Amino acid sequence: MGNFLKKLTKFNKIVLASVLILNVGFFMIMRSNTRMETDLDEYMPQEHPAFVYSNQAEKWFNIKDGIIIAIENEEGIYNSDTIQKVKDLTKSLQKMREIEKSDVTSLYTADNIIGTEDGMDVRPFFKRVPKDPEKLIKMKNLVRDNDMIFGRLVSYDENITLIIAEIKDDVFSQEFYHRILELSKEYEGPEKIYVAGSPIVEGTMAYLGPRDMQKMVPIVILIIIIVLLVLLRSIKATLLTLLVVLFSTILTFGLMAAVGIPIYAVSTMIPVMLIAIGVADGIHLFSHLHLYIKKNPSASRRDAINDMIHGMWKPVVMTSVTTAVGFISLITSQVYPIKYFGIFTAFGVLMAMVFSLVLVPAGLMMFGLPGWKDKPEKEEKKSRKNLGSVFSTWVVKHRYLTIIITISIIAVSIVGIGKVWINSSFLDKFEKDSDIVLTDKFINSHFGGTSTLNVILDSKEKDAFKDPALLRLIDEMQADVETLEIVGNSFSLSDYLKRMNKVMHADKKEFDIIPDSRELVAQYLLLYEMSGDPENLWKVVNYDYKKVNVIFQLKSDNSKAMKSAIGIIEKRIPGFSEKGVEINYAGSGYKGLVFTDLILIGQILSLLLSLIIVIILLSLMFKKVLAGLIGAVPIVITAVISFGVMGLFNIPLSTTTALLSSIAIGIGIDYAVHFIERYKIYALRTGDKILTSEKTMQHSGRAIVFNALVVIAGFLVLLLSVFPPNRALGALVSLNMFTSFVGTVSIMYLLLFMSNIYFKKNKKN
Amino acid sequence: MKRLHIMVLSLILLPAIAINGAELTGLQIVDNVYNRDTGKDSKGNLTMSLINSQGNERVRTIKQFIKDFGKVEKKIMFFMSPADVRNTSFVNWSYTEEGKDDDQWIYLPALKKVKRISSSSKSDYFMGSDFTYDDLGDRQPEADIHKLIREEKFNGEQCYVVESVPKDEEYMYSRTVTWIIKDKWIGLKKEFYDEDEDLLKILSVKKFENIKGLWIILQSEMVNVQKKHTTKMQLSEVKINSGIPDRQFTERMMKRGL
Repeated sequence: MGNFLKKLTKFNKIVLASVLILNVGFFMIMRSNTRMETDLDEYMPQEHPAFVYSNQAEKWFNIKDGIIIAIENEEGIYNSDTIQKVKDLTKSLQKMREIEKSDVTSLYTADNIIGTEDGMDVRPFFKRVPKDPEKLIKMKNLVRDNDMIFGRLVSYDENITLIIAEIKDDVFSQEFYHRILELSKEYEGPEKIYVAGSPIVEGTMAYLGPRDMQKMVPIVILIIIIVLLVLLRSIKATLLTLLVVLFSTILTFGLMAAVGIPIYAVSTMIPVMLIAIGVADGIHLFSHLHLYIKKNPSASRRDAINDMIHGMWKPVVMTSVTTAVGFISLITSQVYPIKYFGIFTAFGVLMAMVFSLVLVPAGLMMFGLPGWKDKPEKEEKKSRKNLGSVFSTWVVKHRYLTIIITISIIAVSIVGIGKVWINSSFLDKFEKDSDIVLTDKFINSHFGGTSTLNVILDSKEKDAFKDPALLRLIDEMQADVETLEIVGNSFSLSDYLKRMNKVMHADKKEFDIIPDSRELVAQYLLLYEMSGDPENLWKVVNYDYKKVNVIFQLKSDNSKAMKSAIGIIEKRIPGFSEKGVEINYAGSGYKGLVFTDLILIGQILSLLLSLIIVIILLSLMFKKVLAGLIGAVPIVITAVISFGVMGLFNIPLSTTTALLSSIAIGIGIDYAVHFIERYKIYALRTGDKILTSEKTMQHSGRAIVFNALVVIAGFLVLLLSVFPPNRALGALVSLNMFTSFVGTVSIMYLLLFMSNIYFKKNKKN
Repeated sequence: MKRLHIMVLSLILLPAIAINGAELTGLQIVDNVYNRDTGKDSKGNLTMSLINSQGNERVRTIKQFIKDFGKVEKKIMFFMSPADVRNTSFVNWSYTEEGKDDDQWIYLPALKKVKRISSSSKSDYFMGSDFTYDDLGDRQPEADIHKLIREEKFNGEQCYVVESVPKDEEYMYSRTVTWIIKDKWIGLKKEFYDEDEDLLKILSVKKFENIKGLWIILQSEMVNVQKKHTTKMQLSEVKINSGIPDRQFTERMMKRGL
């Protein structure tokens, strides 16, 4: 392998040309075939039982996500102009291609169930906008009397009214999102118009996140270039290192495009991984080269390059293969985008390896060695007592302190891990004072809530939900859950029946209860169907009354809120199962919750799996199980601290933050392999532990510091991002790099040192 | 049987039409359908099947009596099934007077009370079906402007194709197109277009029969193409002009049930 690579340097022009052609080719494929996938449903494993059920239930009850438009008039909404706006905006929304007419709910489309002298009636609140103040007051009173509307579509202070447009999740696009915003703007003044709801939150995120990244990435790359220049002290070396990263990224995305796999949100993490890992290969190569040239200033270009290949091909291949295997372990994930992320990052890592071993030597042959001007001999001597060896001596001298510090940091982190919580919330990804969060707060403070949890009750028996006992159970469950502060209100078939029972008994309060007999329930429902548009009924009960949909409005979309509601609902399982009724959940909020759990479980499983694989691989590579175990230490430390910090600093786990632990594997392995490989070489060569430590610190230690510095500096730039998830990304990548580095040169080194590995044999000899 | 004065009017106008070479206008064609003699009274069993977009079906069987009282047509319906609504009865009075809404009452046996349903308009849907009261034949011809657009053979019958545009711009349909069988005056097919001129529903008559010299529709189907919801109506055991007594339509009969 080494010889092959050395021979290859003789054909540097051909190598460079073919690398270039290959990249141009893949770049063309990437440009013409790349497709972004923004439909969140595509991310979910459709065969998972929770998703299968939810998707079915969404069809049964026409459950969709709602765009919420709030119209506020500080003088009150009951004037002709504002009511006209409600009607016009409702009609404009109904006319939009993406929205079905019957999916828009407002004061204009709502049914009003009212009691009349001798019966009941279901009619709209208005068809033509009332001009005369008396009629407006009449309408106001009608709304006040109907608690299915008052507090739900009209705020209690009567200054705000809502229009809810439900859409299927596959129709949402950036263009549609902007059209909605523009449309609502047209109706501004004197009324204020607010737009909220989960499609809008997701839309804003899908728009803001990448836009922010586009701004930040060039700065990140610029900083990385500057730091590389400072550390490598060579334009050629910097350029070649960057080309390795760039080419491996192009090939990875090119391959994705070629096999028709779209770019998912998590795919944007691939370049992040490749920067962190690809830079490492280059730095280690140049670090080795630099040391060689320092020692042999008169060596020829070919000799220097041959030595670099000879000394480094093994660790580069070893680190890359173990890293790739670590990423491939993500294949066990049930979430396709993460599976793909694992496979393609692994591919990218291997490409970075190939380019490091082929492109870097060829480039150096072609354009010459970096022109390092080393300081005079005198200083060289001085720097032999460099920071690395000072540090290594200190670590060995204070070995117990080092171990104690490590253990205490791990202990604190484990406490932190206990506090880690998963958040599937989209809203929590925005700044607390951003428009979208404030709008959501505003609507939540006046209405039931902007987030929805659908509880599906499922019976095997036809007409089960005409049974008053079951309806009463539902009513009790609703009352129970509504005691939670984050639950604004709820809505079910029971509410319809209570309302009708009351109305049919001359609006007497004591009849605001579920009717006594199954027949009366059935007859009320028939009456409702005969009086109004039964379409609304099918949102809460299915055609044969075997299933009902109980809708809860929550004031927060975060996982804690939804879980607390589910906690109370679950207590009702025994009562319902006694009646042969099963409880299930549906809706995008719930799916998000399940999805995040899946990601987390998958992530932890793949972390464990990759840890085992890495230990085995390292043991085989270094031909010692102990080396494998020691090599796994930086990975474990990095992962534990990463999760610990998230828990301690209240950073919830989400799709991106969970994936970041993969960096722990990627980087942790790299550092460990480089370090152990060097340690082994020097140990066998010198047989002196102190000298081995010093040399290893100088060689690998230095490269590891450089690598960590470059990536940390680059990613710290993301802390300036305006988009909180991108800030978390920057902070966590930097943290992972830092802990990997410190863990490798301190505790892992100490363990190597104390284990006497690679020395026993020497002594015997 | 309905709107006798219009019939008289038509009779007076008939010679004028004859002069024009028997070419009927859209309004005359629709008038002929509206005024087609369906007997003084009728009774029968109505099976109403409601099928939603997922193919779930609900079936209701109803016994109905209809009688023409001159200025008002009275209809009483008793639910036979499903069991939990058995004996629920429904009375509808439809007036010939222009613009006058129907009066409706319902008797819920579980509540033991007759309640009045004040229907807000004839564009309400009938018992959760895809038919509005207007669609069931209540819409007065003068409410629309009719235009004969062509004549063609449809389902083996020679038909007039008439387009009707409502005079009231706020009406739920922007227009309808009807295929009317010549001489039998049965609307064989009708397309309904919504406020935005999009096709909303299609009505098809599947079966009609000549009973005692009168053309009676026995099977029809309405498909709401936007909601993908279908209603099938089927009449059986139809008796025409059997001499239903007036007391069949009283509150006492509503409460007595079948």
